[in-house]
Amino acid sequence: MTKAEQTKTDQTKTDNTKTEDIRAVTQSPLLQINDLSWSVANKAILKQLSFNINTGEVVGIIGPNGAGKTSLLRCILQYINNYQGKICFKNQDIKSLSRQFIAQHVAVVNQINDPVFKLSVSDVVRMGLLPYKSLFASETKDDTQTIAQALAKTGLTALKNEEFTHLSGGEQQRVLIARALVQKADLLILDEPTNHLDVYYQHQILQLVNSLKLTVLMTIHDLNLANDYCSRLILLDHGKIIADGDNDQVLQPTLLSDVFGLPCQQITDPITNTQKVYFMATTQQNKVIHEAN
Amino acid sequence: MKLTNISLLLFILTLISIGLALTFGAANISSTQLVQCLFSQCNSALNETILWQIRLPRVLVGFAAGAGLACAGAILQNTTRNPLADPYLFGIVSGAGLGATIASIGFNDQLNIALPLAAFLGALFSISIVFFIANFVQRIEQLLLAGVAISFMLGAITQFMLYIGEPLATNRVLFWLMGSLARVEMTQFYLIASVVIGAIIVILAYHQHIDALALGDENAISLGVNVNKLRLLMLALCAAITAVIVAYCGGIAFVGLMIPHIVRHYFGSSTLKLIIGSSFIGGCFLIWVDVIARSAVNNLELPIGIITSIIGSLFFLYIMLQGNRSHG
Repeated sequence: MTKAEQTKTDQTKTDNTKTEDIRAVTQSPLLQINDLSWSVANKAILKQLSFNINTGEVVGIIGPNGAGKTSLLRCILQYINNYQGKICFKNQDIKSLSRQFIAQHVAVVNQINDPVFKLSVSDVVRMGLLPYKSLFASETKDDTQTIAQALAKTGLTALKNEEFTHLSGGEQQRVLIARALVQKADLLILDEPTNHLDVYYQHQILQLVNSLKLTVLMTIHDLNLANDYCSRLILLDHGKIIADGDNDQVLQPTLLSDVFGLPCQQITDPITNTQKVYFMATTQQNKVIHEAN
Repeated sequence: MKLTNISLLLFILTLISIGLALTFGAANISSTQLVQCLFSQCNSALNETILWQIRLPRVLVGFAAGAGLACAGAILQNTTRNPLADPYLFGIVSGAGLGATIASIGFNDQLNIALPLAAFLGALFSISIVFFIANFVQRIEQLLLAGVAISFMLGAITQFMLYIGEPLATNRVLFWLMGSLARVEMTQFYLIASVVIGAIIVILAYHQHIDALALGDENAISLGVNVNKLRLLMLALCAAITAVIVAYCGGIAFVGLMIPHIVRHYFGSSTLKLIIGSSFIGGCFLIWVDVIARSAVNNLELPIGIITSIIGSLFFLYIMLQGNRSHG
């Protein structure tokens, strides 16, 4: 083998190794939760949770009130950081990452209270630039274009000068999603995105989220919406993972009956031919209400 | 309206206010004489002294103090998400009052230096207590309540010292607490202006971070903002602005509360517009309050703190009634 051939072979080997490394990185989970526990005043809220989120997945966290859904998101977002266990983002312990780095890669659509002061839709969407800007940097033409594109993609161009507080709940959620687009994040986290929204806006928001082709982690109450829009579900109860997997695996009537404390049935929607879960109110519930009154 | 247009308009308004305010006072200086004095030669030495050593420092300090107090109020409101936050709420003026009282009673000889210095140290003392408490509070509302409690505590100590102190010292402190620009000099303008301008530059650097707080602390954290550090930095800047103004001008209430309220109404609440609007409008407001203070009553100078309090309280009653009418 000539020297040139040897060099070429070495180069090919190096390239193959690099490709394998890149594949290993891209194939490794975007978010890894290992043995996560968190307690408040000796009360365990999250109990040894472990799961991964892979790139491209739309994962819904479901469960009854008090199951620990929002606490889990708050730990991932580092609003809570006195937890036990490890949360890794892109193979790095999230605690070791700067706030700015996290903000460049993870965007959040939170449940928000109305702001006290007036802010326009553009003002709120523009906040998405913050993780990329140094202190005295001004807005560039590219930034303006990014904002305009995000507004267009979320159907907000006509509302850009409106006051944020004057918008409906669904429109406010869209503004926050537009801000997430400006953030150019890899992972979008949504906390109860359909809360307080009517049926039209519930579907509009979730369709929008799905159309963005991002990796998504959301908490969601409506199990049928979760089934329609998520590619994978994680069922939580009392801070523990009860089920994690494909929607059909998780939305088992017996499992849901146990967790939600109500008789549950699965029926096939005659129009869409998809599975729907249906809970039946019990006389026991009415009895509890009467006794409380 | 675009920010550059707003800034230009307010700058012109400021120049007009400064020019007109220089013509008011006990001595009669016409606008022609004023232009002559400013841009070529004064026709009399007396006019030159009055203009350069009395009126100009007074007008400039009035502008800097008004701008500083309005900005301090605006930034406290935006960082605490509370439209009623004001430098006075954090006990800064009560601390300054206590310092001034101690100086008046204890250092009668060098009062020109001792009083502003003690007032400044008193303001820093009160804000240090608020900072100390800030380490233990969970919510921003608790910090505001702590500020109110400290304000009352220091106020009570001041009143006790005045009650048992000699009447002359008591009078001096009471007049100082009412606020006045009568004794200001050009050196004080340089000091106040450098603190106010320095603080405004830092605030403007962080304007987007402060805006991110508007939708809640967690919202700001998710955008990469270190909320606690930002809030402490802004509190420190407001304390520095207020302390240096209170030390030389005494107590001037309501500017920090009222001006940002007006600016929000016309320009919106984004920090950039709010700070630029509050600086110019707050500055012009205090210039004109000072004009009223020295020309409303013949041969009597009114304390500006009294005038700002009257205007401020009437303004808030008006806002409240307007609000009721629009809701009713």
